[in-house]
Amino acid sequence: MMKRLVLLAGIFCLLATSVWAIEANELFNTMRTKVLSVKDYTADVKMKIDVTYMRIPQLKGTLYFKSPDKMRLERHGGLSIFPKKNINLTLSNLIPTGQVAVLDLGPTTRNGKKLRVLKVIPEDEQGNIVLTKIWIDETNLLAVRTETTTRNDGTVIMDLEFGNYIPFGLPDKVTIFMDVKDYKLPKGVAMDYNDDHINDTKPKDGKGTKGTIQIQYLKYTINTGLKDDIFKGKKGEE
Amino acid sequence: MTPIIETHELSKSFKDFKAVDKLSFSIRRGDVYGFLGQNGAGKSTTMRMLLGLIFPDSGSILINGNEFNNGRRDLLSSIGAIIERPDMYGYLSGWDNLKIFAALSGGKIPTSRLHEVLEVVGLKGREKDKVKAYSQGMKQRLGIAIALVHQPDLLILDEPTNGLDPQGIAEMRQLIVSLSKDHGKTILISSHLLAEIEQMATRMIIIHKGHKVVEGAVGSLLNPDETLVEVITNKDASIKGKLAASEWQKTIKTIEDKLITFKMNPANTPALNRWLVAQNIDVLEIRSKHSLEEYFLSLTNDTVTKN
Amino acid sequence: MIQLLRIELYKIFKRPRTYISFGIVAAITFVIQLAMLTDGKTFIGFAIQGINEQFDIQGNMLNGYLVTYIILQSLLIHIPLLVALVAGDSLAGEANMGTLRLLLTKPITRPKLVLIKFVSSFLYTVLLIIWLAVVALFFSILLFGTGDMINLKSEAFIMILKDDVLWRYFAAFGFATLAMTTIASLALMLSAFADNSIGPIISTMGIVVVLTILSNLEIPLFSHIKPYLFTTHMIGWKGFFDEPIPYAAIGKSCMVLVAYTVGFLATTIFYFNRKDIKT
Repeated sequence: MMKRLVLLAGIFCLLATSVWAIEANELFNTMRTKVLSVKDYTADVKMKIDVTYMRIPQLKGTLYFKSPDKMRLERHGGLSIFPKKNINLTLSNLIPTGQVAVLDLGPTTRNGKKLRVLKVIPEDEQGNIVLTKIWIDETNLLAVRTETTTRNDGTVIMDLEFGNYIPFGLPDKVTIFMDVKDYKLPKGVAMDYNDDHINDTKPKDGKGTKGTIQIQYLKYTINTGLKDDIFKGKKGEE
Repeated sequence: MTPIIETHELSKSFKDFKAVDKLSFSIRRGDVYGFLGQNGAGKSTTMRMLLGLIFPDSGSILINGNEFNNGRRDLLSSIGAIIERPDMYGYLSGWDNLKIFAALSGGKIPTSRLHEVLEVVGLKGREKDKVKAYSQGMKQRLGIAIALVHQPDLLILDEPTNGLDPQGIAEMRQLIVSLSKDHGKTILISSHLLAEIEQMATRMIIIHKGHKVVEGAVGSLLNPDETLVEVITNKDASIKGKLAASEWQKTIKTIEDKLITFKMNPANTPALNRWLVAQNIDVLEIRSKHSLEEYFLSLTNDTVTKN
Repeated sequence: MIQLLRIELYKIFKRPRTYISFGIVAAITFVIQLAMLTDGKTFIGFAIQGINEQFDIQGNMLNGYLVTYIILQSLLIHIPLLVALVAGDSLAGEANMGTLRLLLTKPITRPKLVLIKFVSSFLYTVLLIIWLAVVALFFSILLFGTGDMINLKSEAFIMILKDDVLWRYFAAFGFATLAMTTIASLALMLSAFADNSIGPIISTMGIVVVLTILSNLEIPLFSHIKPYLFTTHMIGWKGFFDEPIPYAAIGKSCMVLVAYTVGFLATTIFYFNRKDIKT
């Protein structure tokens, strides 16, 4: 009797997980479809880069995006600075494409909201993304946080806040946390004045540091069929 | 009458070198005061002290009876000076130089005065040239113009004929005499040549190694009766006897070989000459110089031998 | 006083030597601008290598603002020489020419003469800096346009928005004027000690070079005296291109520079007032 009971419970559990797994898969795919439904957009943004060694004011500009991975900040004559990563600062790029395995890590609460956490592992082992954890708001079908482990660029965490563009799955505010390598210009190239206060912000480990990029989206124009030319632009002064 | 300048035991040393040593003298209004001394005797140092360029170690300077430092400003606006070389801004024109120093002299000086003073020193027509293109004489004259432009009562001229050609020296002399006679200026003029002082000065001082040797009116210091008349004759054994018997005996100072030196007024030289000829004594040369000059020259020799 | 100053400025600006400085400033500026026109992109590429590994920067980085900064960075080290050329000559040059004794027989007090020499050296410095502003800033903007400015420090990459740059340059030029005035007062002081103008000019440069080296040496022995050297504070203009602007440090630098200037000037007046004029 006891044995049977254990077996039943085992089967039940197995069934349950597979049901959940299907559910999780479905949830992920639906959400991905929603995200990918935005083929391109143009948005007025405010961007704040917060990296210890970079002192950059808030940048206002126009952000162009085209699926799957084209992104460009236009600053009307000003400089635009973007992390040079294989990943872009957009959700569609942090969510693995193609065949994936989805694991359900169960419900959680974040900022008083009930969320579901999924772990998504792409089957393509050559891709940059090793795995992504996604926190999903099930009611609105929105990814509010992703934690993506990449092959080349360390771990990138993205927090998304939604408001006006929920139907398109487009956030009002995105905060990206990423690893940044340390930077030092050799003495002699730069002549410093008053270097005291720099030392305060210097990372203690001396190796790498965390960087934050915050983008506020003020107004989106979606799916206008942006041309690729827009993204060519002037390619820095490399 | 209060002297315009009066010094009392003025002393100045540069390291171990005593340039001026307890020098006292006074200059009266209307004097052309000659400052005679060898190079390095302390003339320039004294003049610089009178102008406040160098500070005395001890002693005092009274200007119009007042302590020098009290009325320095007023004093300097009533002094015109040339100290040693007349150095100017070579890259500026004579006119610019004159204008600049006129403006610095205190009080407003009309342009007409600048023209006037250029006329006086004879630089009219050359005032627009750059000073670096001027000859030494022109610079000296511009220096005088600058010294004169603000109509000072007192002129301090340190070796104003230095570096001038004979013509320039003569002109400078005339100018100085005229400034005194016609314009009533009090003039302090230095020189290392007695003859120069003799021709211009009314009073004089001789200084040597920072000390005062003698001070007084030129007329009395250079009394003509004190003139030395030197006669060079062919050697004649009878000459001593002839002279001893004559009225010239009392004027004889020395007899050395062919050179006989008389101390007398040079006005008597023609009479002496006639007498010598009448005695059948051949006269090869007659020359005269003042005893002070001899004394002065002995100072020179002293300096030369010591150096 | 005004008239004396006018005369002094007239003397300064009638001299061909005075304009050498303006020529040198223009020449160096144009050379750097030319170099930036031809090779600027390579230069920037090299400079931002470290940043470029991780960030992609797009847009016209090589704009007039950055070029001006590069010019100031290399030129402001040499401006002391140009300032010394005039300030170091101001008393010693007159002594050398022989005009000083004539000048001092005029009814002007010596402290007044020193003050006039100082003020005229200051005005010359101001004009030189204005000239620098015109050729470096104005012409760079004309040639390279404006834009957001990047500033590379040894441990930081700073970006300043286009509209936020210009006032910083004016502040920097103001600071540079103060720093150069300190040099002028140093040169003037050395000028009072000397009777020829080469000495003070060379000595001023020598002092600036030696102290600048001390200011930059990373040796603990010197780190104690560093804050007291005026050369340490002369590059304070760079503070205006930092983010956030270190106002406290800049203010301290200003105070040190003012203290030095007053000190040099007071020493000059004290010494010159008792100096025997023998030239």
